[in-house]
Amino acid sequence: MATLEIDHLNKSYGTLRALKDMTFSVESGEIFGFVGSNGAGKTTTMRIALGVLRPDSGEVRWDGRPLDLQMRRRVGYMPEERGLYPKMKVAEQLTYLARLHGMSAADARTAVDHWTEVLGVAARRGDEVQKLSLGNQQRVQLAAALVHDPQVLVLDEPFSGLDPVAVDVMSGVLHERAAAGVPTVFSSHQLDLVERLCDRVGIVRGGEMVALGTIDELRTTDFSRWRVVAPDAPPGWADAIPHTTVLDVDGAATVLELTSPAAGAEQAILQAALAHSPVREFTQVRPTLTDLFRHVVSADETPATEENAA
Amino acid sequence: MNVVWQVAAREVRTRLFAKATIISTLVVLVLIVAGVVAVKIIGDNDAVSEGEQVGIAAETSELSPALMAAAEAAGYPIVLSETTSGDATTAINDGDLAAFVSGDPQAPVLLVEDSPAPELLTALTTAAQQYVMSSAITELDGDPSQIGADVAAAAPTVQALSTDESEFDPYAFIVAMVTCALLLFTLLQSGSLIAMGVVEEKVSRVVEILLATIRPAQLMGGKVLGIGIVGLVQLLVFGGAAAIAAAATGLLEGVDLNLGSAFVWMLVWFFLGFALYAVLFGGFAALVSRQEDIGAVTTPMIFGMMAPFYLAIYLVPSLPDSPVVRILSQVPFFAPFMMPVRQAFDSVEVWELALSIALCVAFVPLLVWLAGRVYSRAVLNTGGRMKLKDALAR
Repeated sequence: MATLEIDHLNKSYGTLRALKDMTFSVESGEIFGFVGSNGAGKTTTMRIALGVLRPDSGEVRWDGRPLDLQMRRRVGYMPEERGLYPKMKVAEQLTYLARLHGMSAADARTAVDHWTEVLGVAARRGDEVQKLSLGNQQRVQLAAALVHDPQVLVLDEPFSGLDPVAVDVMSGVLHERAAAGVPTVFSSHQLDLVERLCDRVGIVRGGEMVALGTIDELRTTDFSRWRVVAPDAPPGWADAIPHTTVLDVDGAATVLELTSPAAGAEQAILQAALAHSPVREFTQVRPTLTDLFRHVVSADETPATEENAA
Repeated sequence: MNVVWQVAAREVRTRLFAKATIISTLVVLVLIVAGVVAVKIIGDNDAVSEGEQVGIAAETSELSPALMAAAEAAGYPIVLSETTSGDATTAINDGDLAAFVSGDPQAPVLLVEDSPAPELLTALTTAAQQYVMSSAITELDGDPSQIGADVAAAAPTVQALSTDESEFDPYAFIVAMVTCALLLFTLLQSGSLIAMGVVEEKVSRVVEILLATIRPAQLMGGKVLGIGIVGLVQLLVFGGAAAIAAAATGLLEGVDLNLGSAFVWMLVWFFLGFALYAVLFGGFAALVSRQEDIGAVTTPMIFGMMAPFYLAIYLVPSLPDSPVVRILSQVPFFAPFMMPVRQAFDSVEVWELALSIALCVAFVPLLVWLAGRVYSRAVLNTGGRMKLKDALAR
């Protein structure tokens, strides 16, 4: 197993710069979450990685070598725009796709049986895809990305349209694949899921990677924030604490940010609170991925890039 | 190559074994067999009424064999029946008899309603003259049949100074016409199947998964190959059904079916023509995004195919050696239609034939590549119809 590297991809549609030096890598066994608002360039990046689109410059490498057609056969891809032959039967279709990826007929049959079982569509193997509910079509689509035992997974919004049970099944499959050493990239707007599943996260805006790191790294802020619950303290009690600013007051709870990086600076907050009231709660507040996303994305958001230009 | 076969196999499986295909094939099969049987029945009715009814009097019956033979030779077969003058008059008035021959064999009388058919008159004249000759020869102790044979053998032998064997082969011409018609028919059907298949993949977006796995040219090639096989199988089934029905009803008795070189050439041009046009259909179909828009692409294609077809069936027979025909028949899209007709007129040099085949064979991969390029660019473009220029641009 090896690293998937996305190296300085650039892509323009006319005057529209869809990708600007998009760079990141996914280690073997790592789950990488790719988040960003609509039209930020996630789908374009994934399409380029799969060779469906051609970058203006830059390269996608796997195991140190450019990802060519032969190696792309080992990639499991779930496109943003779901696509299966509507009039083909589920098993027949999955077998066909497995065979296209170079599997023998016998292996393909076994894999189709396995994945339809795991994803809970085994009972529908003989039905035409168009007769399935959207949720089940989605499961078949996932099976299509997994059926050829891929060595890399690139999944564009794999969780959209899935019920909670299917989300759990899918999460389990991703963990299991990662444990087997498969690098996985997936995009999602369900940030709680991303936070739970991913080892690392990249946030994109306007075709650029604006934040990249492990969830812990991203959640670490320069100045720590603290939440104090002091029910008997008078209003404005915290205003005069040195080296702090009050961010939010909600009833008895007050959130403050330190303005000094000095160690132990937060103790002044606790002492000030205790001087007024018993303290029920005193915790460091770390931003959630949703907070980070809002912060990063709302910073001069330009709706310039449109994903459907792809 | 393996992948191309996978794609082709899927096309064959989903199209050949589709319920709609099986039903429509069965319907056409029934129509073909019924058609052959109908032709046979109508043909038999014609055979019964073949030959004009001509009466002949007993005293003139010595003329019968000679008259029948002469009428047959004149292309006016007759059926003779012995009758009397009175019955004959009634029969002629009723339209049951065309004519009545009576009197002295040396000077027969031909009784008709108003005027005799010229062939019948000629035949009767010949028969009477032969009778006179035979009588005279017999009187001179000669052998009329010997002399008759000698006369028949006295024919000149033609020796031409020019050895130019520019000869029109009617059989090859028929085969050439059949090639053109079959090519056109098959392309009309398969072309729209290919276009629909391409657009179906585009509409259902399955193409994105496919193109992440295989080259556009492989997808394209496999699709054309698969649908080509389906078209060929249908053609063979229909042709086979017609042949079996014809053989079973005895329609082909006496017809000399010579499946010689013309037939081999027919296959060559059929495959080349199919490959060229089918690939073009696929490439252009990728430009549209909806099933409803297919016509915008296939209609110009169909009109485009009519041009070489009509040139082949009208221009080539009238000017088989003209420079226009010679040049056009080298152009890949024209060659499969025009060359078979030129071959029928035997107006093709061997090098011309070799060159046009080489051009077609070289053009197919080029076209597959080009169509694949259009395909890969246009296929992810949803929304309106894409311009060819944009699809070809880098």
